Amino acid sequence: MKRGIISKIVLGLIFAYLFFPIVATLLFSVATRWSTTILPEGYTLSYYKLLFSSPEFGHALLRTINVSFATVILSILIIIPSMYLAIVYYPRLEKLFEILSILPFAMPGVILAIGLIQMYSRGPLQITNTPWILIGSYFVLILPFMYQATKNSFRTINVKALTEAAMMLGCGKLETFIKIIFPNVLRGVISAALISVSVLFGEFVLANLLVGDNYETIQIYLYKMQKVDGHLANALVASYFMVILLMSLILIWLAFRRETEVRGQKTEAR
Amino acid sequence: MSYVQVVNIDKSFQGRQVLKGIELEIEKGEFVTLLGPSGCGKTTLLRIVAGLERGDGGKVIVNGREIIEGQNKKEQNIGMVFQSYALFPNMTAFENIAFGLKIKKIPTQDIRKQVEEIMDILSISGKENNYPHQMSGGQQQRVALARALVVKPDLLLLDEPLSAVDAKVRESARILIRDVQKKMGITTIFVTHDQLEALVMSDRIVVINAGEVMQYGTPEEIYRRPANKFVAQFIGTYNFLPSSLVGIGDKETEICIRPEHILLVSKDQFPQIGNAEGIKLYGTLENFYILGNTARAEVLVQGRTIIVDHLNRFEGPKFALKEEVGLLIDKKVCTILGR
Repeated sequence: MKRGIISKIVLGLIFAYLFFPIVATLLFSVATRWSTTILPEGYTLSYYKLLFSSPEFGHALLRTINVSFATVILSILIIIPSMYLAIVYYPRLEKLFEILSILPFAMPGVILAIGLIQMYSRGPLQITNTPWILIGSYFVLILPFMYQATKNSFRTINVKALTEAAMMLGCGKLETFIKIIFPNVLRGVISAALISVSVLFGEFVLANLLVGDNYETIQIYLYKMQKVDGHLANALVASYFMVILLMSLILIWLAFRRETEVRGQKTEAR
Repeated sequence: MSYVQVVNIDKSFQGRQVLKGIELEIEKGEFVTLLGPSGCGKTTLLRIVAGLERGDGGKVIVNGREIIEGQNKKEQNIGMVFQSYALFPNMTAFENIAFGLKIKKIPTQDIRKQVEEIMDILSISGKENNYPHQMSGGQQQRVALARALVVKPDLLLLDEPLSAVDAKVRESARILIRDVQKKMGITTIFVTHDQLEALVMSDRIVVINAGEVMQYGTPEEIYRRPANKFVAQFIGTYNFLPSSLVGIGDKETEICIRPEHILLVSKDQFPQIGNAEGIKLYGTLENFYILGNTARAEVLVQGRTIIVDHLNRFEGPKFALKEEVGLLIDKKVCTILGR
């Protein structure tokens, strides 16, 4: 009984610690004046109105969406087939994948950015200040997330046996991948994609250093707004927090569904 | 020319030779079992026949067509049931079975007809819309079998498909597979390490050990006339006795006798029964236990334990432990193994 209360208090404190800033952000974004009082003196949606009517915001959001989705799609197209090939035909390469997927964690964003600027600000591939370099570096950035989430999906099915079974029925290699393997790892791919998009939505360091004003993403826009008007910046944060929250909820729902299904499979097998 | 020819197949993995010059000929419609202990190379041989693995040397010909690893298997027309079944988890039973027909671009209404037909034969009708994880092991196994059979393969390969189901299901599955195979007349290669399965189901058995064919023959031949000591030890139970003990053959040979061919009699009766052809041995009863429909006695004869099996009849002969008993052996049932 006592332990129950303590754990509830601890949980409550953690919850409060995590949620107060968010609540404060939300409140500040709808406050008219908030300086000497505990709660704002008045409320208004004018900052949101201002934000959503500003073309700059729309453009920045669109740029972020473009660059995030382009990166994630490219990543799916390259990483998933490579993992499949590694598992079925070149099992030794799996170790290499493992190492590659940890490497981006070892590189702080600033160092990565400086290196990339050195390499790509002159020929033959001069792509700094263009979205292309963002897509390229984001590809590396999300590699760990893409790899880990899909690897787990690949583990739940017997990739090699399924491939061979399809081949024995006369199915070609590409067809096998599209019709058998991909549908069975799709859920893992979706969660990997959602994590990656969330990560990329919040990315500032690389965007700021590599392209800056030349391709103003939502984070760069936010950075600017903070200097202009705190209320507006807060409205912006609250808006994109909602987007991320929505994506996270979808992710949790997907993960939960997969888990119940796997559990269902096990009990059925018995 | 035989329907299936396996010619001089060699295979090594990382310097370890797992198949050594395997030669096999299988006739159309035959059910042949590859039998051997785990790691003997039987599954590797099956995979080479399937074209999933490449042999280091030799070739495989099925219905006049050479099987080549890595080639598209559309032309090959070999059906295979995997140990893990490898059903496609994202497809229903119906879709799983129909998959091979779809690849062959068979019209939809024909697919439906053929799938329903095979599901009926394997008594899994009504499971069309179930996903693999919604079916029992036995049902999954039959879906896997249906998926391989529905395309009417030239050759059906079964890789220990019965090892994952429980004993009762296994027993009925043996008969089911055998019946369907005979009915459809499909040439079949079956891999197992279970000798009973092999004896019950096969037309011919290939006993494999350490990558070599030990014996190739009918279940009758394999059981009654083992070609060498490995086969004799691997299939069923044998008493291995020196020739001096039974008084036949020369000194170098070993005589093997099945436990069920030895008659256990009481010492008092012994002088009156048997004839000149019979070998008579005296011994003491060391142990006696029931295996089910048979009972087994262990008799110590001149320092050697001889196993004797007989039907576990209600009014069977009762002997006390340590009692002196007689063993009667017909000379005809003695198999002489060369060294």
